[in-house]
Amino acid sequence: MTGRLDIDNVTTAYDKADVLDGVSLTIEPGRITCLLGSNGSGKTTLIRSILGLTPPRAGRIVFDGADITALPTHKVIAAGIACIPEGRKVFPKLSVEENLRLGAYQEPSEDVTQERMTEIYRLFPRLRERRMQLAGTMSGGEQAMVSIGRGLMRAPKLLLIDEPSLGLSPLFVKENFNIIRQIKERGITVFLVEQNVHQTLAIADYGFVLSKGKVVMQGTADELSKTKEVHEAYFG
Amino acid sequence: MDLGVLAQYIMNGLMLGMMYALVAVGFTLFFGVLDIIKFSHGDVVTVGAFAALATFVSLRSAGIVSSPLLLLVMVTVALVAMAALGMLIARYLVLPLRTAPALNTLLITLMLGTVLRESVRLFYPQGANPKPFPALLPSSSINIGQFNLRLDNAIMLAAGVLVIVGLQFLLNRTKLGLAIRAVAQDEETARTMGINFTAIVLVTFAIGSALAAFAGIMNGLYYNEINFGMGLYLGVIGFAAAIIGGLGSIYGAILGGFLFAALQTIGAVALPFASAYKDVFAFTVIIMFMAWRPTGLIQEKISERV
Repeated sequence: MTGRLDIDNVTTAYDKADVLDGVSLTIEPGRITCLLGSNGSGKTTLIRSILGLTPPRAGRIVFDGADITALPTHKVIAAGIACIPEGRKVFPKLSVEENLRLGAYQEPSEDVTQERMTEIYRLFPRLRERRMQLAGTMSGGEQAMVSIGRGLMRAPKLLLIDEPSLGLSPLFVKENFNIIRQIKERGITVFLVEQNVHQTLAIADYGFVLSKGKVVMQGTADELSKTKEVHEAYFG
Repeated sequence: MDLGVLAQYIMNGLMLGMMYALVAVGFTLFFGVLDIIKFSHGDVVTVGAFAALATFVSLRSAGIVSSPLLLLVMVTVALVAMAALGMLIARYLVLPLRTAPALNTLLITLMLGTVLRESVRLFYPQGANPKPFPALLPSSSINIGQFNLRLDNAIMLAAGVLVIVGLQFLLNRTKLGLAIRAVAQDEETARTMGINFTAIVLVTFAIGSALAAFAGIMNGLYYNEINFGMGLYLGVIGFAAAIIGGLGSIYGAILGGFLFAALQTIGAVALPFASAYKDVFAFTVIIMFMAWRPTGLIQEKISERV
């Protein structure tokens, strides 16, 4: 099983409100690992650091034994990581199909790309119906499907999912979590960044809590959901 | 006015429009991927035309006389050389200034344009004087009624159409084109798709600059003369055309190029007593147009639905 990510004492300055101060955590292969934390705790900065969008000032990020700390983003992706970004970030003026194709940008074989696209369309039949529509003209829920499908087109070893339920209707949020569970069943390691503690801990195997740029707590999902501090921090 | 003369005007307008469109597409491509205005673009047109002329001179002195062969080598050398120049400019002048304010890029490319222009003037033999450009296309013509269709013009127009169709194919039907469009829409997300951003920027600058060289050669073949200042004029018009089209839109830039040529032609036809004022007329209309529609014909950056 591959998809192991070791983050070792990473310090990153993104903007003043959202920094990492010596974060260490490990994402074990084949599991859903979640990262909880309020706004400004450094969650997005951690994702940016892993992807090489905001390279860390100090520390090391190791993916399946290879140091990816100083790599440019396209090489991080080439190592087998994909991302479903916060706010979905579909390309608004590209069609659904073009968006999906970009997910498999580094896949040289057209046959493999087609195969994966067929699979995505099986998962989201609605995307097949709308494959020629410009992604920017779709509803939030549909854009979320495009964004998830695009991330899966890469067939990654590790999938980073940043705030998937932000701005979606409760019904779709529920569906989203079902899909994440299915992704894990395909053997893809998932790193899930969320604010929706209850539903996140229901599907996650292990979790970390980030506060003011530091990991303040970690444990299995069961342990975390019983922890007083997590409850206090999120449910008041 | 009789139909033959009118057809002549239209043909002239189409030729100019094609050149303007090719230059404007470069401006719009650069703005698309990097959100910058590269002011030296017009002078790349000049350097491209002079590179073609220098190739011609050296091939002729080597004893090659076949016009098609000369033209083929000239076009190839000029396009490849300008593609390389475009990549160098992107790599060493534009990309290092990414984090600086956009105005700095504008200023530095403006200065680079002056350097290119003055280099042609000072270092090309007799560069300060206009240079005759060889007429390498068949100059025979067909008379259709009173309209005299010159074969060389028809060939150039067809070649220009082919280039634009080819560019459309590249941008809309290839993986490279998809990557260019993705970078233009959202650089950061494009990078997380695994696209090598720097490589895409360099390729885009190569394409835009090769198109500029093509426009420069077309200009030389059409007027049978080139000079060191030609690119400044073409650059300003190409820039205006790209803006009217809605900066960032390829179709808009092409449309803008032909629209500007149409205005000049209308200016020349409507003011026969003062056809020297055709540029004044065209630019006045453009200024009024910009006041009416500040975002151009085709608005590119649409607001995203949340």
